[in-house]
Amino acid sequence: MVTASQDLTTNKNARSGIIDCDVHPSPVHIDEIRSYLPMPWRDRYRGGGRGFFGNPVHGSRLDSNPPNGGPAGSDPDFTRKQLIDEFGTAYAVLLPRAFCNVQPDPDLGTAVAAAFNDWLADTWLSKHNADGVFKGSITINVHDPIAAAKEIDRWAGHPHFVQVMTDSGARAPFGQRQYYPIYEACERNSLRFAVHPGTDGMGINVQPSPGYPTHYIEWHTCLSLSFQAHLVSILTEGVFERFPGLGITLTEGGVSWLPALMWRLDAEWKALRSEVPWLTKAPSAYLKDHVRLSSQPLEDPDNSKHLLQMLDMMDAEHILMFASDYPHWDFDSPTHAFPRLPEQLHKRIFSETAREWYGLPADTV
Amino acid sequence: MGKHVVGRVSAIPPGDRRIFEAEGRSIGIFNVGGEFFAIRNSCPHQAAPLCLGSIKGMTMPSKPGEYIWAREGEILRCPWHGWEFDIKTGRSIFNPHRTRVKAYDVTVEDHVDGIEDDESVETYDVSVEDGWIVLHV
Repeated sequence: MVTASQDLTTNKNARSGIIDCDVHPSPVHIDEIRSYLPMPWRDRYRGGGRGFFGNPVHGSRLDSNPPNGGPAGSDPDFTRKQLIDEFGTAYAVLLPRAFCNVQPDPDLGTAVAAAFNDWLADTWLSKHNADGVFKGSITINVHDPIAAAKEIDRWAGHPHFVQVMTDSGARAPFGQRQYYPIYEACERNSLRFAVHPGTDGMGINVQPSPGYPTHYIEWHTCLSLSFQAHLVSILTEGVFERFPGLGITLTEGGVSWLPALMWRLDAEWKALRSEVPWLTKAPSAYLKDHVRLSSQPLEDPDNSKHLLQMLDMMDAEHILMFASDYPHWDFDSPTHAFPRLPEQLHKRIFSETAREWYGLPADTV
Repeated sequence: MGKHVVGRVSAIPPGDRRIFEAEGRSIGIFNVGGEFFAIRNSCPHQAAPLCLGSIKGMTMPSKPGEYIWAREGEILRCPWHGWEFDIKTGRSIFNPHRTRVKAYDVTVEDHVDGIEDDESVETYDVSVEDGWIVLHV
């Protein structure tokens, strides 16, 4: 018996309680965002993210274009079908891509951030969220910290925003004091602070490398450098001593670099502690209380035993949270991205750690 | 092991592909310049629906700084991560020996026992002149 088929879904898992920490919703059209912008920003804003270092193959999964039109990730019902229902996801943490950090005009960047928040709150977090599966990230313009703090306060008490987010592309490392109004606002509103790649090396932002690479493959591989630079800055500047309630989510910044970087930083600290006397313990000792990494894009060594060893070295049980990056091209499948994990570790990475981190209620479905 | 008549030759024009279910497997059949090839519709990397990918050429081995574009229409790129596969063999471009997807034989037959020449097994238009595409699983 042969039948033509377009529906290629594989096994339907029972609702498994997965928490997916990096899912991208998109407006159907940029006019949707512009409708939330007051003048003169409505006229000024033309959308756009980065002007170069585009993926030469495709930017989103080719099978993620909604059947009723619009760009990948723009149809909440289709995202439900292809991601939430397919893998039995309990919660998806949404990170819209506003790319405010690339705007040279801080007022425009701040207005765009607010418009994305209004849009997300009106659509994915309400109209399409009867069951509460979608949790949002508050977009801020990190280059205008005072305005960013006000924007964070504007959403205080919203039931579905669980964190604040910024692009990793920045004018200065995130441990520095100009950002502290943002961290104060995160702390007083009990919101995590998430960093996600974007705008790195895009004109007014710096990718921590010796210069502009030639190819997308270089640029994309080296996105993790921003995360390493930000994390070293945050730890050594004593951000977690100043803001003991602050938690930072490093999203899509890679994973396996962490143990080596922490060994190196701890070794430096033994010799250079006097330069940063406010640290009350080795830098790596702050991670468990204050830092989480999301898993995608997970490194994939030929020998999967090596990855398991690395997960052990980095204390993945306490600081790693699953993410798929749906619908982007380097999507990590919940069922195929990881090698077989011990049951307890699987539970921590795919569900428990994120549930605790974001204070999400237990899955009642 | 079975022989599956999937439709008339005209149902899959050159450069196109169609996806079928046969013996519980999802399989893509491709028309590459008038020849038919079949591969399993599941990427060996993360089980993406491989046969929904884009059909392209590829940059051939070359000296640094040199680009040689060839094999137009023979290369399938996975719709998720963009891994390249040779449609004719199912072998990946980056490691043809270790990373490959199952390929199946496809034949074109003028007459198939049990199917009248004017009978259509699909809903799309067929012309009675062309042969049947037969997938061997």
